[in-house]
Amino acid sequence: MFAPFDLAAGWVQEHLLLPLLYQLGWMRWEDLAFGWALFAVYGAFQVAITFAVCMPLEHWRPVERWPDAKAVTVDVLYTVISRVGILPLLTFVAFYQIQVALNGYLTDHGWVPPTLELLFPSLIGQQMLTFVLYVMILDLSEYWRHRLSHMFGWWYALHSLHHAQRQMTFWSDDRNHLLDEVIGFLWFTAVALLIGIPPMQFPLLVLLLRFLESLSHANVRLSFGWLGERLLISPRFHRAHHGVRGAGRGSRNYGGVLPWWDRLFRTADFSPDYVPTGDPSAPEALATGGYLMQQRAGIGRMARALGKPARPDAKRSA
Amino acid sequence: MRLSLRPRLLLLLTLGAGLLGAGPAAAAGIAFAIDSAAASISVVDMARQMEIRRIPALREPHHLVLSPDGKDLIVGDTVGNQLLFLDPATGDIKRRLTVADPYQLGFSPDRKWLVVNGLARNQVDVYDAATYKLVKRFPLSSMPSHLVYSPDSAMVYVTLQGTDRLAAIDLNTLSVRWNQVVGKTPAGVLWNNGKLLVAAMGTDSLSVVEPADGRVLGRIVTGKGAHNLFHSPDKQIIYVNNRVAGTVVALDAATLKPLRTYAVPGGPDDMDFAPDGRIWITLRFAEKLAVLDPATGAIQTIDVGRSPHGIWLNPKAP
Repeated sequence: MFAPFDLAAGWVQEHLLLPLLYQLGWMRWEDLAFGWALFAVYGAFQVAITFAVCMPLEHWRPVERWPDAKAVTVDVLYTVISRVGILPLLTFVAFYQIQVALNGYLTDHGWVPPTLELLFPSLIGQQMLTFVLYVMILDLSEYWRHRLSHMFGWWYALHSLHHAQRQMTFWSDDRNHLLDEVIGFLWFTAVALLIGIPPMQFPLLVLLLRFLESLSHANVRLSFGWLGERLLISPRFHRAHHGVRGAGRGSRNYGGVLPWWDRLFRTADFSPDYVPTGDPSAPEALATGGYLMQQRAGIGRMARALGKPARPDAKRSA
Repeated sequence: MRLSLRPRLLLLLTLGAGLLGAGPAAAAGIAFAIDSAAASISVVDMARQMEIRRIPALREPHHLVLSPDGKDLIVGDTVGNQLLFLDPATGDIKRRLTVADPYQLGFSPDRKWLVVNGLARNQVDVYDAATYKLVKRFPLSSMPSHLVYSPDSAMVYVTLQGTDRLAAIDLNTLSVRWNQVVGKTPAGVLWNNGKLLVAAMGTDSLSVVEPADGRVLGRIVTGKGAHNLFHSPDKQIIYVNNRVAGTVVALDAATLKPLRTYAVPGGPDDMDFAPDGRIWITLRFAEKLAVLDPATGAIQTIDVGRSPHGIWLNPKAP
């Protein structure tokens, strides 16, 4: 099942990365390079499959039609950077280094980092069940990271780059400020170290989860029905989060893949409306600027938020 | 005969010859090939040359070794921080033991010690082989990779992939005797006729090292990315895997002169020798095992998991 992607990653490693590492005298990183090749190949496939499914859906039943979609172009760049290019490389290297340093420190002090399976030995050998549990834990942790990013003014100032998009499409999922990505990465790393996440053991399932996240941003009138809406997050459900009333503090529908946490913590909104998206309080540069302009605007907004005791836009949020 | 000219075409021809039955009859028994990326161990029927099942590990197994009494096949799971004890005849998991970052591991010839390299944690652990109790930990910078013992079990030599060094640990005094630069990115190491041979992966050669003090006495060119090396069962030939060149080179163990070069693309890594004379090699980036007939150069391949690494053959398994 994995063969074509793994073979492609193997080809990249053997014919591109290894000769390059050899020439540069960096052969010590060859194992790491292979890990990145796997990430990049799966990321490229992820982008392709998301495009193949979501693009026809957006043409079939769009929520909104725009005279032009220039603002979407930068989201494509975000997606490529996030899923294929430099970001997987940096996060892979950084995660590896942090994991090694922390695990080494802890082990030296007599505490071998746990895994979920070691905490619950009956899970050993039950790889699929274990993976489902990991997904649930991670999704719960992402719910709280996301919710907190709306609660703290300085953090939302960064996250508002994600919310500023008024032409939200499936490309918008990865539209994030780099600093927000770094915080998210550190958050994920902390959880990963606590429970020992095995993401690359199940690449196609990870791919499916990322696909669902992209789909939830799509500009499409699509709901999963009464029951489906309560099992998986649909484009309609997530659109309520991106609605103009969902910007800033007091938003709703924070979940990434599972709507369960929103129900549990009373932030779910299952109303059937397809609302306009965007953050009215955000500087225009965050909505329609180029990549670098958006990054600069995000930092500027964060600096201003840090200089104020409370954000004015927080009051406007529902 | 050197197969450097259009090696892939020749490999295909030899592969075809193998499929047509030109090679010797396959040996009976089972092979264990570790799949590092998917955290499993492939069990391969050697006679039928096909994978028959997968044993789940925990996170990231890499290497394996047979216990001195032959009753346990021990697999090191680095990220899972454990040793798996398998029945070498059936592959059944008998028990698990918590051990920090077991990457490469090996028992001393006198059966007294088990040395475990922690590549990610920059540590070399010396265990009592009878009790599996940690006797001493040596923090060694950096990336302790492969190891070999002196025939009298007095010393163990560990390659330090990240610092271009080879460390000699005196097992009688439990101290580091010397720690010397031996070549760029050293990986595999072998004791041969009173000298140490170190595969310097960042170069195209082996370093010949004096065991007494770590002096480099000379270099033997084998191919780009010299990664690992093994004695043939009769100790007459040394087979060297060259990771970047995609070749296996046979050297005369007495003279260290090249005898033959085999094209083995796909990232040749570990190997083991079947009673029928053929060499089983893991192809790290090709999801395959290669079965090389050194007499004819014919290669057959067997599909296994995503990142085959360590391999061990049990021709006596039922």
